[in-house]
Amino acid sequence: MMLLPCPWCGPRSATEFRFCGEAGEAGARPDPATATPEQWRRYLYLHANPRGWSTESWYHGSGCRRYFTAERHTLTNEVRSTTAAGGAP
Amino acid sequence: MTILPITRSTATSGRLGPQPGEVIDRHRTLDFTWNGRVLQGHPGDTLASALTAAGERVLSRSYKYHRPRGLSTASYLDPGALFQVGDEPNVRGAHRLLREGDDVRSQNTWPSLAFDLKAVNGLAGRFLAPGFYYKTFIKPERLWPSYEKVLRTFVHAGEISPVPGTEVYDKRYAHPDVVVAGGGPAGMAAAVAAARAGASVLLVEEEHQLGGHLRWGGSAELAALRELTAAVAAEPGIEVMTDSVAGARFDDNWIPIVQRSLPGVAERLVKARAKTLVVAAGLIERPYVFAGNDLPGVLLSTGVRRLVNLHAVRPGQRAVVLTANPDGDAAAADLARVGVDVAAVIDARRGEGIVAAHGRGGVQSVELTGGRRVEADLLVTAVGWTAPTSLLNQSGDDPVYDPRTARFRPDPARLPDNVLAAGGIVGEGSTDELVAHGDATGREAARRAARVARRLAAVPTAVTTPRPPVPQPDAAPVVVPELVTPDHPELFTNGTGGFVDQCEDVGLKELRTAIREGYDSVELLKRYTTATMGPTQGKLETVNMVAVLAQATGRTMAETGTTTWRPMYAPVTLGALAGRPSEPVRYSPMQPWHERHGAVPLVAGQWIRPEHYGDPAAEVTAVRTRVGIIDVTPIGKLDLRGPDIPKLLELLYVNKWQRLAVGRVRYGVMCAEDGVVLDDGVTGRLGEDHYLCSTTSSGAATVWEWVENWLQTAHPEWQVHVTPVTTAYASINVAGPHSRELVGRLVEGLDLASEAFGYMNVRSATVAGVADCVLWRIGFTGELSYEIHVPAAYGLHVWERLMAAGEDLGVTPFGVEAQRILRLEKGHAIVGQDTDGLTQGFSAGLGDLIKLDKPDFAGKPELAWQHERGGHPRLVGLRPVDPTIVPPEASQILDRDGSIAGRITSSRMSPTLGRAICLGQLEPDLAEIGTRVTVRHPDGRDVVAEVTDPVHVDPEGARQRV
Amino acid sequence: MSETSEEPIARSPIAPQAPVVRFGWEISARAARGDLSLSDETPLAKVAVRAPFRGAAADALGVGFGRTTRTDVDGVGVGDVLVVGSGPGEWLVLAAPGRGPDLAAALTRRLGSSGEFVSVIDLTHGRALVRLAGRAAPQVLAKVCGIDLSDSVTPDGAALRTTVARVVTDVVRDDRGGPPSSVGPSYLLHVERSSGQFLAGALLDAGAEFGLETGTFVGLAGRDT
Repeated sequence: MMLLPCPWCGPRSATEFRFCGEAGEAGARPDPATATPEQWRRYLYLHANPRGWSTESWYHGSGCRRYFTAERHTLTNEVRSTTAAGGAP
Repeated sequence: MTILPITRSTATSGRLGPQPGEVIDRHRTLDFTWNGRVLQGHPGDTLASALTAAGERVLSRSYKYHRPRGLSTASYLDPGALFQVGDEPNVRGAHRLLREGDDVRSQNTWPSLAFDLKAVNGLAGRFLAPGFYYKTFIKPERLWPSYEKVLRTFVHAGEISPVPGTEVYDKRYAHPDVVVAGGGPAGMAAAVAAARAGASVLLVEEEHQLGGHLRWGGSAELAALRELTAAVAAEPGIEVMTDSVAGARFDDNWIPIVQRSLPGVAERLVKARAKTLVVAAGLIERPYVFAGNDLPGVLLSTGVRRLVNLHAVRPGQRAVVLTANPDGDAAAADLARVGVDVAAVIDARRGEGIVAAHGRGGVQSVELTGGRRVEADLLVTAVGWTAPTSLLNQSGDDPVYDPRTARFRPDPARLPDNVLAAGGIVGEGSTDELVAHGDATGREAARRAARVARRLAAVPTAVTTPRPPVPQPDAAPVVVPELVTPDHPELFTNGTGGFVDQCEDVGLKELRTAIREGYDSVELLKRYTTATMGPTQGKLETVNMVAVLAQATGRTMAETGTTTWRPMYAPVTLGALAGRPSEPVRYSPMQPWHERHGAVPLVAGQWIRPEHYGDPAAEVTAVRTRVGIIDVTPIGKLDLRGPDIPKLLELLYVNKWQRLAVGRVRYGVMCAEDGVVLDDGVTGRLGEDHYLCSTTSSGAATVWEWVENWLQTAHPEWQVHVTPVTTAYASINVAGPHSRELVGRLVEGLDLASEAFGYMNVRSATVAGVADCVLWRIGFTGELSYEIHVPAAYGLHVWERLMAAGEDLGVTPFGVEAQRILRLEKGHAIVGQDTDGLTQGFSAGLGDLIKLDKPDFAGKPELAWQHERGGHPRLVGLRPVDPTIVPPEASQILDRDGSIAGRITSSRMSPTLGRAICLGQLEPDLAEIGTRVTVRHPDGRDVVAEVTDPVHVDPEGARQRV
Repeated sequence: MSETSEEPIARSPIAPQAPVVRFGWEISARAARGDLSLSDETPLAKVAVRAPFRGAAADALGVGFGRTTRTDVDGVGVGDVLVVGSGPGEWLVLAAPGRGPDLAAALTRRLGSSGEFVSVIDLTHGRALVRLAGRAAPQVLAKVCGIDLSDSVTPDGAALRTTVARVVTDVVRDDRGGPPSSVGPSYLLHVERSSGQFLAGALLDAGAEFGLETGTFVGLAGRDT
């Protein structure tokens, strides 16, 4: 089981976290006032699933209960950066 | 246990005089039975060494052909020594230590080990060709049950007791700096060096003692072992685990270690997160494939040396030794020393060889290259080694075949930074060289562990105090000396026949047949023939299989490659994986009362709740006619604080929240971004910037995470604090026409009159002497009702006071089942029951609630499109025309053409109406009130039902507004 | 206890051994005989504070995420309190039984002056709290908790949140508050109230091999007294 480096709590076993999908561009919510069905469903269902670096959203549900994004390599599970939601630490 | 009064055997002729490295305690004798016969051994004996000492040579029958088999490796891996011990099947007989009174049996031999009728399979061997099972038993399928029965009686495996075991299994976590897998000289030296450098170390050894091959060596090896043992014992930072296996290496050095031989515990799984892993697994001696290689009396050199030196057991009377390396030479010397007649030493390094072993029930003679036959009851082979690289493979290092040393070898350069390899698995050397290699590797492992520790400490919450004596992480890497492996002849098979896999009874000829049939890749050959898939999992057999394949296809060993070594390294019991099964459960403060009053428990998610107290229909009637109280503590509750709560609620709910006054409660529904109904509940405004939001019991955790997601990632600028307070309050719903009277008897400082505290309002008050209770006037049951949220520690007190104060009113506790009936009568949908993962808002009867004129809320675009499209299923009421028939939930509703047009989502017999009532999801063209539809039961029976309004009782809502 | 007692009695979610009523709470009277004990500390006042991760309120609380401090919320007479940095921008403040409302009011007053967005909630009733103390306490905890409990990683005064026996738990190492009869590490474990009985049972099961016993209420003063 891999360790995931929570930006607040440090590395913890991955079972403490919930994967919340791709973050950044891929996971951005379109403007609901103008979104076409195609745009909205891309936001809901379509993911890039890269073989390589992926920017992901995670929730540390069994720890600090904060959301953060992590840049993870999907082949090696290496995490090269994390960013806490709402800034800090 | 059955006492078997059978003849006592006194023949222990196989026991030698005292040996310098022996591990048995000759002062004590243990009685055990072997297929009912009483035999003796000593503490320290394995089951197999005790049997061999007692003169037993045939220990089992083989898997397919029921050939007699004896010891070969005399280790954990020995395929000839799988026993039934008492209730426990498949015991590794050459590893398990003998205990007083052990009831040891050979497995699946019938009628007896000596005369096994099933051995006729061997005579008819040609019918068990490779792929036999696939080819023979595949058709007709209906005969599978009988095939299974026949095959099972012929399979070589023990019997599992149908009675659940009483053994205790256990788990724990560990965070060592270094895990050393393998406790031979290199592993011991690595552990000592790492510990001296300040690291905490787990030293894991599969056998019962540390020392590896030093244990069965000569005086120099034994002296080195004593020194290493003392050094390990002197380091408090080393935890030694013997009879334990590091089963796998997963990401970030997550290493499951199975610990056996613990007092009071059958097996313990240690979940270790090691900063560095040192793999010092040594070498496994490889068997030789030749005609007659499975006869009892054919042993590997390490098997012989274990028997002689560890257990002081004579493995035979007259021996032929085939040797290609110093260990074979040492075995010949050991045998000569203890008085075994060594008839011939065949040196493969000089081109000498053997053709076959001959005999019935055991080796009687050995045929040498050139045709000479030597009479012998023991044939010892020492033809080479296999590096058990599983943990290295799992770390990303796939070993490559090296013809010079005749083995697949790992390359430490391919390993990640946190995995190292030491000792024999890397290369050979003298004891001193192996120790030096282990020592350097151990120091380097400690250095790298310190580097990992520093990385782990670089977090905001980390402690700033430095770790005491760990080595300097920035120190220069330790130079690890090289181990130079001498050349070794490539000896896998002489081509005359014999068995490649003695666990699975796969012969050389069968492999060749399979290769001819086209199974000419190593992974295919394995799966088709099942070679390497038995209890030893290829540790003895894989390389020989690769060699056979390489020879047959004309490819090199390196081109042929090897199979993947997957976790676990050794078999693990399901008990060890399960540990102590205990799923978290949650209880309300009133649980002790429920238990005392005969509540039938219902498991709802993690909650244990009263389903009813004996008669749910009577509970319904009590609520409709008098007053009832129900424990609704599991209802999710979120305390919301802050000025931006209305913005948040507007976003979360499909309806409007801007103008909720203090003291008011509103019902709301949440939809996910795909428009599917997520949760519902009421939210009340307790103060200017203070709300209490309720969710369904099962949705509480999900909704909280979802709300936090909106706040943390989408709107971090909003000032709202969310705190889950589900269990801060014991929640009691008091429902029924007398509820106002009952609550009025206990409440202080609150006017319950309808004008002062009307429907859909919230107030704080003291109830039964408990201050700060929150009361909502709402009604899931459809009756006048008050939901009282009591500071949880007083929940039981208030519940008991309600029961006492309402005795003359006929107050009745009611459970979840009565509540389900009451709400169904009232037509209230339950999210997740009357909706599913595809039910969008307009299909859940929420049309009036969804406010598409709001600028935004979760799921709005999808709901707008659902509304535009129309034609979606509706939530409807249904009444079977025959009022006595309650269609089971999930019954299908059929369209006129017989296709599926909907389903029953909830159904009960209504005690209030005296008839069956339902809720259902139904296609719109059938959803008109009064339409008759066909409901198909799961058993295929059809009934007719009429579509009605979802509200079956009191559609005007008069009862709850009084 | 009588089913019709009119005086409200506060009850912990953890069934008491030989129950007696003290300071309005039903507690276990039986004291542990050995060094290793599990005591129910649920009666302690438990106040949750939310405030910006950094700022005046955080400074006033005197401790950041991951650490604890003992302090005196001055001027309110609640005596010693234990302030736990339980999460990013989250604090748990513990005080003597019955002092929850006073403590919450004092904290509201004191932190309110920061001008920051702060909320203070008395969660005394919403959480269960146990103390596991004794030389073997880390070994007991290591059977149900995946955190490295060694002194270098989780020393006295450390606070973190993780799962214990699969229940999300605030783990607070507070050696000073351990029972006077014990030595060695002492952990406060803080969970949702409804999980308290399960957690206590899981710990007693894990600790059986080490001789873990149920102890009586200790409070915060522990080894100071």
